[in-house]
Amino acid sequence: MKKTLTFLLVSTTLTAAVGVPSWAAVQSMATSREHDPNALADDAVAGGSLILASADEDEDDDHGRGFLSKFRMGHDDDDEDDDDDDDDDDSYGSAQSPAPAGSVAPPQNGLFGNGAPPKVQMN
Amino acid sequence: MKPLLAALALGTALTAPALALARPVTMTTTLNTYGGDGAYLALYVTDQSGAYAGSLWMAGGKSKYYKHLSGWYRATGGDTSQVDGITGASVGQGRTLEITLDLADALFDAGYTLHIDAAVEDMRDSPNEIAVPLTTGNSGTPVAGRRYISSFVYDM
Repeated sequence: MKKTLTFLLVSTTLTAAVGVPSWAAVQSMATSREHDPNALADDAVAGGSLILASADEDEDDDHGRGFLSKFRMGHDDDDEDDDDDDDDDDSYGSAQSPAPAGSVAPPQNGLFGNGAPPKVQMN
Repeated sequence: MKPLLAALALGTALTAPALALARPVTMTTTLNTYGGDGAYLALYVTDQSGAYAGSLWMAGGKSKYYKHLSGWYRATGGDTSQVDGITGASVGQGRTLEITLDLADALFDAGYTLHIDAAVEDMRDSPNEIAVPLTTGNSGTPVAGRRYISSFVYDM
């Protein structure tokens, strides 16, 4: 009988020693996340909807002007990094950019045969 | 056995003309050291009446710059499907772009002209920098460009 009581006592003590701090930590996290915007954003992402700080981050803010015209017409003194257009020439696949060579067949414009795909080399 | 032979013969008969109607053509474009960023190049063809017949290559992947390849842009309205599958990276100054394409025989000695438009950021556009008639006689003969292209040659 003593053995049983001792065993129960030890297990209860261990449970209390581990469980109470854990419970307290969970409670603390729940309270802090209510006021943490990052945590809210994380939750939103996990739930499938993004919270955007700004929807106006299109790097292509020179529509209608062209990539050379802004230089010809002078900078617009806004100190924004409006010259970040030339750093990723190889980024294909956006909505308006053409499919790169090798990803699809050349256009059926009557100029190409049906043989070997285009080969390109830069020296 | 006979159906198999017939199928093979039919396959050969259908394939052989297709192979004979096109040939590999290597186009080599060498740029000057013009002191600027990489050049966008549009290689396209016009027919004997000067009408746009199609594109052969686009060097430069961002379509928002294509308006500066003004000859090509005027002919296509900037339609990027014209260069799907034939688009590569822009070409740095002093570098050589070598493209090998399987081109229809009908393009040669039939009044077609190959054009190259060039554009470089912060520098002047250069439409129709190269215009060379596509003939077997012109094969292997280098042509000089006006601004950014040091030389262009096609070999067939």
